[in-house]
Amino acid sequence: MHRLIAPTRILRPRVFSSARLHRHLHHDHGTSTVNAAEIAHFSRLSSLWWDEHGEFAMLHRMNPHRVDFVRAKLREVGLEEEGEGWAAARGARVLSGLDVLDVGCGGGILTESLTRLGARTLAVDASESNVAIASLHAAADPHLASSMADGALEYRHTSSEVLAQEAKRFDVVCSMEVIEHVDNPAAFLRSCAELVKPGGHLILSTISRTPLAYLTTILFAEDLLRLVAPGTHTYAKFINPSELVDFFHREGWIARVEPTRREAEVRGMVYLPWKGDWALVPRGFRSSVAETNYLFWVRKPATSL
Amino acid sequence: MSLKRVASGSTSRVLKQTRLLPSRIHRYYSTPTSSNAPEDSDVVIVGGGPAGLALASALGSSDAVKQNLKITLVEFGDLEKVRGWNMPSDAFSNRVSSLTNVSQNFLEEIGAWDLVDEGRTCGLEEMKVWDGISDARIDFNAATLGLGSSMTAGNQMARLTENLNLQRGLLRHLDQHTNVSLLDNTKVDSIHHDGNDADGWPAVHLSNGKVLRARLLVGADGFNSPVRSYAGIESYGWNYPTHAIVATLQHAPRSLQPNTTAYQRFLPTGPIAFLPLSPTASSLVWSTRPALAAALKQTDPLVLVRMINAAFRLPEVSLRYLHDRILEASTAGAPLTPSEITDEIAWRERAHDIHEYSAYASASVDPVSVNIGIPPEGAELLPPLVENIQPGTVASFPLRFNHAEAYVGEGRGARTVLVGDAAHTIHPLAGQGLNLGLGDAECLARCITGAVQRGGDIGSHTALLPYARERYFENHKMMSAVDKLHKLYASTAPPVVWARSVGVEVLNELDALKAGVMASAGAGPGPGRGDASWGMAASGVEALVGGARVVTAVRDGVRAVGVGALQQLAQSLAGRSR
Repeated sequence: MHRLIAPTRILRPRVFSSARLHRHLHHDHGTSTVNAAEIAHFSRLSSLWWDEHGEFAMLHRMNPHRVDFVRAKLREVGLEEEGEGWAAARGARVLSGLDVLDVGCGGGILTESLTRLGARTLAVDASESNVAIASLHAAADPHLASSMADGALEYRHTSSEVLAQEAKRFDVVCSMEVIEHVDNPAAFLRSCAELVKPGGHLILSTISRTPLAYLTTILFAEDLLRLVAPGTHTYAKFINPSELVDFFHREGWIARVEPTRREAEVRGMVYLPWKGDWALVPRGFRSSVAETNYLFWVRKPATSL
Repeated sequence: MSLKRVASGSTSRVLKQTRLLPSRIHRYYSTPTSSNAPEDSDVVIVGGGPAGLALASALGSSDAVKQNLKITLVEFGDLEKVRGWNMPSDAFSNRVSSLTNVSQNFLEEIGAWDLVDEGRTCGLEEMKVWDGISDARIDFNAATLGLGSSMTAGNQMARLTENLNLQRGLLRHLDQHTNVSLLDNTKVDSIHHDGNDADGWPAVHLSNGKVLRARLLVGADGFNSPVRSYAGIESYGWNYPTHAIVATLQHAPRSLQPNTTAYQRFLPTGPIAFLPLSPTASSLVWSTRPALAAALKQTDPLVLVRMINAAFRLPEVSLRYLHDRILEASTAGAPLTPSEITDEIAWRERAHDIHEYSAYASASVDPVSVNIGIPPEGAELLPPLVENIQPGTVASFPLRFNHAEAYVGEGRGARTVLVGDAAHTIHPLAGQGLNLGLGDAECLARCITGAVQRGGDIGSHTALLPYARERYFENHKMMSAVDKLHKLYASTAPPVVWARSVGVEVLNELDALKAGVMASAGAGPGPGRGDASWGMAASGVEALVGGARVVTAVRDGVRAVGVGALQQLAQSLAGRSR
C-alpha cells in the first residue's frame, strides 16, 4: 500500500488537537526524563540483549536498516554539500572519524555497528546493567576492544540531560527506539538536540501512535506472538512523525511545517513476516508510509538561530 | 565482577558513571587452553576446493572487505600443485563441470574469469537429452531459446570447464589479493569453542601448531566436513546404488557441425553424458551400477570405448545384455577383449537392423572413417564416435545425496557457516554440484560484504541469515529436482516410461515453454529477464492448454513425469538470474 500521508491533515484529528499535541511534547516535569519502571524492565532483559533469537531478535534484524538510513543521510548531505570528490574519497566510510553519540544504547546493537564503521562513538544508557552488558560484549570482540582501548568507543551510564550540561557536542546524535520509552519526550528531544553540533545530524527511530501501530507492535508482537516482551511498549507514549516535525519546527530547525528534504526526513520501516526481515519504505517524505515504525532525520542549522 | 552481578546492578538513579576498562574486561574472556597465543582472523575458510577458493576470491576482490577483514584459507593439500597445473592443449583433466552463465558472470565480476584459460573451455550451445527406453527427446538450443548474454560470447547455455582450470584461475586471482592468506599443506587438527557461552569464538587448531580464532568459520571442507561436526549441524542423505565413471574421450572433429553439443541419455541404470571440450575431445560422465562401473574401469580402454559408443546408440535391451556379458566375464576373471566386445556389439546391431551406414552403428564401422566426410542421416542426434580414451583419465566415484539441516551454526556452534559440498552433495547428472558451490560463495560473499558496509558483526546470526534464507531453499529445489529425475528415469515400468516420454515430447514441441524452462538462462543478473522468461513459459502452457489433445498430454504426461523437476534442472543448467 502506498498511502499518502499529509501529517497535518490526516493524523492530527485522530487523538489530540494541535495544541494538546504540543503540550504532550512540551510538558516538562523534573530533570530526568527517564522512567524508573522502564529502566527496571530493561534491566531484567539486559542479559538477553545479545541473544539474536530471543527478545531482541526483531531489533537485531532492524539494525542493518537503521544503519543504512544513517549512512544514506550522511552520504546524501555530504554529496550535496561537499560534492562528488568528497563522496568518492569517502566511499562507503561516511561515518569515519565523526563524533557520534548513541543515546539509549541498550546492549550496544547500534553502537557496535557505528564503531565498526569508523565513528568515534559515545554510547549512553540510563540502565547501568545495559551499559555493563554492552561494555562486556564489545570487549569480547577484538576489534571493538581496541576501539575501547584507544577511546574510539566509550560506554557511559548517564542520560542525555546530564550530557547536555557538558561541553562536548557531536556530529551525529542517534537515539533509536528510545523516545517512546521516556516520560517527557519534549525534554528528552531538547537535550538530544542540544548535543548536536551546528550543521550536525539528529536521527531517531520510534513508533507512530496509530491504531495499526497498536495492532502490530503491542497486540501482535507483545501480547499474541510474544516476539517482544509484553510491557515493552506503551501506546500513549508513541509519537507521530508530524509531532516530531512540529517540535523541530518550533525549535527553529525546520523553516515551514512541511520540511524540505534538506531539513528533515521521515522513512517508514516495515517488518515483512514472509521475509523475516525489515525493509525501509521507499523514499519520499510526503508519501513515506510511517504508520508504525519509522526513522526520523533532522539537521541542525549550521548557524544557531 | 560476574555477569550475574552486572545484570542485577543498580537501576535506580542515573548518577554514577560506569566505565569498564577494556583491559579489565578482556581477562574474563581469555582462555588458557593453548600454549600458542591464538591469532584472530575475521574469516577462516577451511577447504581450498572450488567453493572455498571462489569465496576467498570474491571476498578478496571486495573493497569493503579488503579495508576491514583479515581472511585466512586453510587447505590440507598442496595448492602449489594446482597453481602449477599444466596440460598440453589437446589433453584434458577428467573432472569437468558445466559452469552456468550465472556462475561465469560471477567469476567475471570478481575478476577471476580472466585468469581461467578460456581456450581450454567450451561454450555449450545445444543440449540433447533422450529417454533410454522410449527415445523420447528434448533439445535445448541456446540460439533458438534466446539465451546467452552480452557478457558471454555468442549463444551459450553453459561453459564446460575443467575444475582444475577453474581452481588454478581462482588461485592466480587470490595471489593478487594480499588480505587473503593461504595456508596450504596444513591440516585442521581440531576445532574448539573458545569461551564459556554462546559469545565464544571457534578456535581452529592447525597441524603447524597455530591456533586461529575465527570471527566467522566457513566450512568449505567437503562431504565429511569437520566444520559441520563442530557446528553440531546434522546432515541427512543416502547413497545412490550408483557409481559415476568419468573419462576424457578423444574423437575426430565433426564434419558438419562444431563439437558444442552435450548429449545425455537416460538409461535405467543411470544417465550417460557426453560433454564437449574441444573439437576432438569430450568428457564422459556415466552413472551406472557400482559393479559395472568397477568392471568397466578395469577393462581394456578400447572395450570401454566400444561400450560408450554403444551406450548412446543401442536399444536398452541390448545394452542390458552387454552389461551382463561384461560383468560375467569380469567375475569369471576373463575380461572381454576389444575384438570380443566388437563382435558382440556388431551382432546386436545386426539383430536390430542397424546397418553399417546408419548413424546408430558403432561396432561394424571404423570410427575414424565415420567421423570424416558426409555424416549419415541423424548423426547430429548422437555424439561423435569415440576413438580413444586419454590415458589415465578413467576414474569412478560413488554418488550421494546429502543435505545439511542448516547452513549456519547456532548456540555453541555459532559463528560457523557451510558452503559447497559441506552443505550439500548432489547427484552429478547435471553437473550442478560445482554451480551450487559457486552460488553459495557468491551469496555468502555478498552477505558478508553487506554486513561489513552496515557495520555488522559478520559472524552474527543476523549477518548470516540472508545467506541461509537465500541458498537453502534454492539448493534444496535443485537437489530434489536432480534426485527426482534420477529416480524417474531409473524406472522401466511401461506406464512411467510412456508418461515421461509424452511429457518430454510435448515439452520439446514448445519453444516458449522451453525458454521458460531454461528461464533467464544466460541472461545474467537481470531480474526483469527472468520474469519475462517465466511469462513466456506461462503463455506456452496456456497455448498448450488450448487444445483438448494436449490437455490430456499435459495432465497425464507433463505432470506425471515431473517435468517440474526437469524444468528446474534445465533452468539451472542454463543458469538463472537472481
